[in-house]
Amino acid sequence: MKKQFKISLNAGITFGIITIFLFLIGFTGTVADILATLFRNKTAAPFLGLTPQMLNMLIFLGLIGLAAGASGSRKEKSLTEDPWGKALLGGLISGLVHGLLVFGLVLLVGTLNQHGVQMNKYLAEVLPAAVKLFLLAQAPAAAGLFYLLFMLVTGFLGGLLSRGVGRGSWRMRSATAWKKSWNGFNELSVIKQARAKPATRYVLYGILFLLVFLVPLKAGQYWNYTIGTVGIYVLLGLGLNIVVGLAGLLDLGYVAFFAIGAYTMALLTAPQPHNLMWSFWIALPIGVILATMTGLLLGTPVLRMRGDYLAIVTLGFGEIIGILSKSDVLTPFTGGPKGVTAVGGPTLFGKPFNSGTDYVYLIFLAVLLVIFVTNRLQNSRVGRAWEAMREDETVSRAMGINTLTQKLLAFAIGAAFAGLGGAIFASRNQFTGPEDFNLMVSINVVAVVIVGGMGNIPGVIAGALVLKGLPEVLRQLQDYRVLVFGALLVVMMLWRPAGIIPSSRRKMESHKDSGVTESPKEGREG
Amino acid sequence: MPSAKTPARRVSTYKIVQTILGVVFAGYLLWRLYVVFLASPAYGADTWARFIISGLILGFVYALIAIGYTLVYGILRMINFAHGDIMMIGAFGGYFVFEALKSIPAPTLLNPKFSFSDAHPIIAVFLAFIVGSSIAALSGFFLERIAYRPLRGAPRLVPLISAIGASIFLENAGQLLFGAQRRDYSNPIILTRGDGWNLPIGGTTVILPYTGVLTVVISIILMVGLYLLVMRTRLGRSMRAVAENKQVAALMGIDVDGVISRTFIISGALAGAAGVMWGIHLGLVYYFVGFIPGIKAFTAAVLGGIGSVPGAMLGGLFLGLVESLGPAILGISFQLKDVIAFAILVLVLIFRPTGIVGEVLTEEKV
Repeated sequence: MKKQFKISLNAGITFGIITIFLFLIGFTGTVADILATLFRNKTAAPFLGLTPQMLNMLIFLGLIGLAAGASGSRKEKSLTEDPWGKALLGGLISGLVHGLLVFGLVLLVGTLNQHGVQMNKYLAEVLPAAVKLFLLAQAPAAAGLFYLLFMLVTGFLGGLLSRGVGRGSWRMRSATAWKKSWNGFNELSVIKQARAKPATRYVLYGILFLLVFLVPLKAGQYWNYTIGTVGIYVLLGLGLNIVVGLAGLLDLGYVAFFAIGAYTMALLTAPQPHNLMWSFWIALPIGVILATMTGLLLGTPVLRMRGDYLAIVTLGFGEIIGILSKSDVLTPFTGGPKGVTAVGGPTLFGKPFNSGTDYVYLIFLAVLLVIFVTNRLQNSRVGRAWEAMREDETVSRAMGINTLTQKLLAFAIGAAFAGLGGAIFASRNQFTGPEDFNLMVSINVVAVVIVGGMGNIPGVIAGALVLKGLPEVLRQLQDYRVLVFGALLVVMMLWRPAGIIPSSRRKMESHKDSGVTESPKEGREG
Repeated sequence: MPSAKTPARRVSTYKIVQTILGVVFAGYLLWRLYVVFLASPAYGADTWARFIISGLILGFVYALIAIGYTLVYGILRMINFAHGDIMMIGAFGGYFVFEALKSIPAPTLLNPKFSFSDAHPIIAVFLAFIVGSSIAALSGFFLERIAYRPLRGAPRLVPLISAIGASIFLENAGQLLFGAQRRDYSNPIILTRGDGWNLPIGGTTVILPYTGVLTVVISIILMVGLYLLVMRTRLGRSMRAVAENKQVAALMGIDVDGVISRTFIISGALAGAAGVMWGIHLGLVYYFVGFIPGIKAFTAAVLGGIGSVPGAMLGGLFLGLVESLGPAILGISFQLKDVIAFAILVLVLIFRPTGIVGEVLTEEKV
């Protein structure tokens, strides 16, 4: 009983802190706006004295309350049975704690607001309008009591729901039923035959290809720009995937190679500052080669270090490139903080690339090329050597793999892909400046690779779509993007270290891993 | 080993290149020293004194942060990437204490405009350090609980990525909570930045800032306290035991998880104190304030041999000095002083990964 109380208390406190945090960063208001556009009820009439925006926010807070209740009604691990009474009590306790915390917040914020304290001087998002929305335009005490009751009820409901739906035998049965029907579907003779034939796969690829080919024609300028950005992130992700996912080297300065590709393209084709005005098709391979060379040059000394040192040195290298590109030292050479404008574009058979659609196709081609190369590499001797090295360097060395050469190869190929991406990026934007190459780019790419699934091509593409594409769709959430990236990295490591779409080999390994860590002998090892 | 011939050869070509590069670099450094000090002295003694003072003060701040890296690395063999952001949290803690105390009026007979922090600067500074350190220590504790503890025993890359994620999360949470603008630390009036004792050096006077002296004194007190804690107390002994061997320590009845938690609390508290110092001495805090000092302190920890507490202190001081003297000696733009710190990091990791003082780790642990 005491333990159950502790579980509920912890759940209540955790969710209370989450709710308070979401209010303080202004997320509750943003979600209310998003829901309003979803429900198209921005102009609807007030209901029970609550404006639609308040109702939307209450829906969101209610969901959090339900989650708190569900989490608070978890049973103790040692118990085999899960009695109703305990679960409901757990939900109630967690809802009460959650409500009390929100009550405190509302009282504090409301009172300060009444006394005319400008809280947004210190807490940027706590604007008077946001406070008014959160207090439902009531007096602090009334709103606080309302929230206390609200959280109590939703917590109770959460316990009820989780007991009734989540943890009953119903869920177990439905899960097995799902699995059975899915297996049955797979076992169907038609599906099996179709799967066995390579022709099906080619048809599917053909459909996908056609879709990808046709979409840019209809998409319009803004969406083509977004698709292009996602494509460039796929390029970068696939490059970093070789370094991080296959070879297991964490490179946090990946943006440096991207920058080198972009600056090479810009300096060779732009009228300023060198007036070279070379053709795009000459500058592109030069950019790739230069990036590769830098990868080799940096890699030679750095790759002898152990993994975590490598991460921080590459981070430092990325920063050095950033500082150098911003400083006055290189201004005559790279254009300094202003960057390089009027970067040249490609011409093909006398037709210059000038619309976003052309660039989307160019990026698609590059992505296809990179996917082809990665695929061939991954299934070759080199790819197997990388994966062996990633799992255990000592053993792979004993198997006759020259780890230093293989690491260098991975680093250089990753750099080459980044150089390619950078060159196309500069040409498409017709501009290159230091602001394009900050730390955030490296972190975005790392997040794309890790969230998508390390060592896996579809995973990386999915990661780029989710992390770069979704924020474009939900523009109001832009401000919270990077915060979510950080949280995602942690959460992915805790729950799915292999990514959304784990590679099949990786999946087998992580299964094996969990078996090892569970045994008490190995579990304590640092 | 002289007996092993063929495998040793490949290493030796690298060693030769390494040595040549090292000699070239050392030669260049000596030549620059000759140029700057003897051939054509660009700066007088007063300027050098100014560089040394600012470098030492910064060095003491770096040393405090570096100790946090070293403690955690010594015990968990992982780089706590979010350490710099914990420093940022501490800096904000102190900032809010000063803001709150500034708003309480406490007029004295001489100065009717005085606020509480002006009238009682010692209490104000003490409170700022206590609050900043405690908040940072608390976040260190939760950081370990949430992001690192469940991953113990996982492959090396996994906690590292988790740490990077935590760092990004904290930075952006800071930005969303407190806004992106830089905030001015409102020191008590006696600690106004730029005020200090005037030292007569080289014909002119050089200011020894009060804020800097405060930083150095508190930093030394904390370091001595830490040294006593690690060497003399029961907790320190268990920390050293856990760093040596977790399994054996557990068999000896040491609560390994508890010791790790406490290590994070201690390193967080030190980082928080460093954050308050940063605010008091340099004046500006914002959500990204911990990033560069974090990387530099990591450099300092590596310089001193990661895992070694005295090494981290020396490394911090050395890095602070190099950073402020480096641009002048090497004759490059002061804009590039961050590049020097990064370059040192890269050079040390290439030439002497065990640090200048020497790492306390044995090969097997690495």
